[in-house]
Amino acid sequence: MTTYFLYIDPSSGSYLIQMIIAAILGSLFFIKNIWYKIKIFFGGKKKPADEPTENEL
Amino acid sequence: MAMQPIEPLPSSYRDNAGFVFKHNNKIYRLINENYFGHYDMLLQSGLYKELTTAGRLIKHEEIPASSIEIATTSNTKIIFPAQLPFISYPYEWSFDMWKDAAIVTLKIVQVCLQKGMILKDATPFNIQFYNGRPVFIDTLSFEKYTEGNTWIAYRQFCECFLSPLLLMYYGHRDMGKLFVAYPDGIPLEITKSLLPLKSALNIHVYMHVWLQSRVSVQTKNKKDEVKDFSKQKLELLIKGLLEFVISLTVKKNKSTWDDYYTDTILGNNYLEHKSKLVKEYIDQINFKTVIDLGANDGYFSMLLQEKASNIISVDFDSNCVNDLYKSIRKNNIKNIVPIVATLNTPSPAVGWANEERTSLTERLKADLIMALALVHHLAISNNVTLANISDWLQNMGEFLIVEFVPKADEKVQELLLHRKDIFTNYTLQHFKDCFALHFNILQEETVGTTERTLFLMQKKYV
Repeated sequence: MTTYFLYIDPSSGSYLIQMIIAAILGSLFFIKNIWYKIKIFFGGKKKPADEPTENEL
Repeated sequence: MAMQPIEPLPSSYRDNAGFVFKHNNKIYRLINENYFGHYDMLLQSGLYKELTTAGRLIKHEEIPASSIEIATTSNTKIIFPAQLPFISYPYEWSFDMWKDAAIVTLKIVQVCLQKGMILKDATPFNIQFYNGRPVFIDTLSFEKYTEGNTWIAYRQFCECFLSPLLLMYYGHRDMGKLFVAYPDGIPLEITKSLLPLKSALNIHVYMHVWLQSRVSVQTKNKKDEVKDFSKQKLELLIKGLLEFVISLTVKKNKSTWDDYYTDTILGNNYLEHKSKLVKEYIDQINFKTVIDLGANDGYFSMLLQEKASNIISVDFDSNCVNDLYKSIRKNNIKNIVPIVATLNTPSPAVGWANEERTSLTERLKADLIMALALVHHLAISNNVTLANISDWLQNMGEFLIVEFVPKADEKVQELLLHRKDIFTNYTLQHFKDCFALHFNILQEETVGTTERTLFLMQKKYV
């Protein structure tokens, strides 16, 4: 069945989904960060520093 | 002189913070008193300066209403933004144009949050390609951010940017055109129905599309609970979206039009001579703005790039347009706007009363129109008559450089290979007759060793 959201604010439900996504992303970035540190520990390259240029987006 | 009342442009009815209006052919923006707080914060927090210096937000100057002799009713401010030579719409963008527009929007949100502000909406119509890069043009989209709030425009961002990007990424690179049917955003339900199931294996696609459309259905009758979201969480959300969008790269499908100039059997002599002729023609005329119809990879647009103030390069092949866009970005070329459009069915007027976004024909105006190796495609592939083509072009600009490719040409023979030749009128003489109705032919030359003819014409005023 298709639900049409004619009478509700398009952003309702937004709170819950943004909470969930922030939580998932929080753990994702946490793991990524640890993985990155492990890589550096074993002699991996450091990320180059972000140098903003005039043409950068 | 009497004060003139001002009318918002048809595209500017949604926001009660103010509106855009046209006065003496210049674009201005009026700001209502209810927005003054946010506007002051935009300027005083340093956000405006940071974003305009980085080229992400359009510059403006505040001017007194009296200076342009217009009647304003209440307490309002008038700003005069940098004037854009051409307005393109998202359904005319190639993949990387969409992607860069999304990246700029998200980066603006990141800078906003550092300054305690947020974007209240996230639509690609707020982005224009100006000076060779995507620029945010809606100065009234900035609002004070209240700690604990979620991003009000999150769903809009997903439907307006993620939906088209994912449909192009997982489906076809032309899927951005679907936006003409859904200019307020492609609903997640629709996007979900068109994406392959494997896309849900990507955690970002799953969260922003699958999960979001499900959660919205479940919570549709509940009032939002206490707001205990945080700026830190919001920053995570934006960072996640940004990294995901950056990771999307479109697979390049090779099309007939790739390497058209390098591979084509017409050979170097043809292209060399044609370039020489075009250069000769443009030396005879005065022009600032150019429209290059059927621009392919932008070879001829680039040729005119030093002499023109602004060039709109139109092609129906989104691969070519995307390559051109990437080379514009790479070489920091500021005066070419590439757009994807099928010329026999150009973008229509859409939105409220069919007036919100104008048709492509209405927007395509310039001093010089180039239609190189184009007419035979419109005439033979799409059955557009030569009289129709001449009619359509005469409203576009003053000068015309147009190429006629005769029936004997191998490319036209290719077009006729699988269809009946009903084009008895398709001759050089008939072409000249049709165009002579609206144009004076200033010059005509045969190109290289081919039987193709290149014309320089000027509009006739009867």
